[in-house]
Amino acid sequence: MSAIRREFVKTLFQKRTYIGWAGLFLVPFLITLAFRFSSGGPHGGGGPPDTGEQIFEQIRTNGMWVSLAALLALSTFLLPLLSSMSGSYTIAGEAETHTLRTMLMQPIRRGTFLMAKWFVANAYVAIGMIIMGVAALIAGGAVFGLHPITLFSSQTIGVGHALGLTVASYAFVMVAMITVVSLAVFFSTLTNSSLTAVAAALVLVIIMEALGAFTVFDFLKPYLFTSHFAAWTNLFRSPVVWGPIIKGLINFAVWIVGMTGLAYFRFRKKDILS
Amino acid sequence: MSAERFDTALDERLPQGCDGRPVVLSTHGLTKDFKRLRAVDSLDISVCRGDVFGFLGPNGCGKTTTIRLIFGLTYPTRGYVQVLDHKVPHDRLKALRHLGGFVDDPMFYGNMTARRNLRLFGEMNGAVSEERVSEVLEMVGLAERGRSKVGSYSHGMRQRLGIALALIHKPDVIVLDEPTSGLDPQGMKDVRELVRELGKQGTTVFLSSHLLHEIELVCNRAAIMSKGRVIVQGPVSELHPASHAVKVLTGDQSRAWEIIGGMAATGTVRQDEEYIVVESGDGFVPEMVRRLVAGNIDILAVVPAIEQGLEDMFLELTAETETRPGAGAPAARRRGRRK
Repeated sequence: MSAIRREFVKTLFQKRTYIGWAGLFLVPFLITLAFRFSSGGPHGGGGPPDTGEQIFEQIRTNGMWVSLAALLALSTFLLPLLSSMSGSYTIAGEAETHTLRTMLMQPIRRGTFLMAKWFVANAYVAIGMIIMGVAALIAGGAVFGLHPITLFSSQTIGVGHALGLTVASYAFVMVAMITVVSLAVFFSTLTNSSLTAVAAALVLVIIMEALGAFTVFDFLKPYLFTSHFAAWTNLFRSPVVWGPIIKGLINFAVWIVGMTGLAYFRFRKKDILS
Repeated sequence: MSAERFDTALDERLPQGCDGRPVVLSTHGLTKDFKRLRAVDSLDISVCRGDVFGFLGPNGCGKTTTIRLIFGLTYPTRGYVQVLDHKVPHDRLKALRHLGGFVDDPMFYGNMTARRNLRLFGEMNGAVSEERVSEVLEMVGLAERGRSKVGSYSHGMRQRLGIALALIHKPDVIVLDEPTSGLDPQGMKDVRELVRELGKQGTTVFLSSHLLHEIELVCNRAAIMSKGRVIVQGPVSELHPASHAVKVLTGDQSRAWEIIGGMAATGTVRQDEEYIVVESGDGFVPEMVRRLVAGNIDILAVVPAIEQGLEDMFLELTAETETRPGAGAPAARRRGRRK
């Protein structure tokens, strides 16, 4: 527990922590203002075209959708970017500033150290997503009001139920982002440059998204974690279509365990030369 | 830091060396390869309780790699380090509870104050009181800058803070990697005095340096390393060559060189910056002075070349390992234990 507390303290002392959170706070306000003062929707949403369009169409009449629009828009790039950065700093960032050796010269198990960093990197992203969700509700509610929503399957549900589904959607995307953090943590154990680790993780995310965009690579889709990023939209159907959601969670779990395990075994025996 | 703070029962169990003092830090066949490069080669050194142990060698000889191995930052290819009765890397965590120090330049979180850094790192090895933080900052002369962010610190201040962190838990052994590197003369003097003081208080210090004079000034025992191997170790006083060198400065160094060169055996006179350095034997100095005066040469200074002994030996030994690995130096020249 003290290892986690220590990592939190370090995170809270970094300016970039607040810059990332400030960005996630501002984006929902920008989305809200964009919809308030323009007649068209955004250029592409990153999610399935039908659900994306439906979400963006409904924003102007119901602020509840702002949080979901932000989630759909940001889960393809900004959130993976933030997750990559957060994960990459864990080991490579400390190696870069040479504080890694000062840390590991103290009596701490390398596994404990790595897992505390992994946990705090994920907590950082989770706090960012909570900030984003709350900001979206504030901005959407203030400009368009919070009303019962119409699901993609045409039924209407109350604000409370809709809030519950929104929280569940954020939780699902959070698990997706844990996958990206785990990937970045693994790359972070391979290099002493956090920028290299960020780039490696982000490039892999972009390659997966590109592969998922072409039908010729459809056979790969079940294995690419990015293909499941928008599976939360199935929560907004009645009855809920659980298949894609469960498949997505299983896919994320395999990647998380695999990447974190590789990072653990790599870091446990790594020579600290920085 | 008095001797009472040490576990006497443990000390009795440890191997004894150095006039019956227990060995608190040792390496056993320690070897580290980086691909094809052998950075540390079958290293066997022993540091006893209360030693200020100099770890001497030219740049790139494997000193820092050895210290990384001591702290468990890197894994040995063969062999192990022993800190008290804990082996590294196997018992790394337990060993680290008895070690303090730094490798290369000590690095801290620049966006935190020195005090917070000391607490953050220090608490990884148990509770750290504010009083102890103040105490160690006072010891290294940083009491007034304790609340400044480390990012604003100079290199020398970071070195001092590194020593403060090393001291915070009163460890059995403090390992310092070139602690005076990059310091101004006053800073070097302060750090050396601090190390000497620690030694007097009974703390074992393992001090790496490429400065021979520093080792002579501060350490009681030393090992000389070259090309990854320890080539000699023992008490610093015994590492000196048997002869006594003097430095001579006159009003006319050219004529003095001729006179002294005519008196001394071949190869025992050489130039060191503005001085003539000569290996003097019994009765040599009075005779030399007489001849210089007779030659109407003003004698400005005749001083013992304190640092010359170890330096000669160091250069000789490291040159030997460059040309003849494993070759021995003339036994009469030293009384230290050859490896």
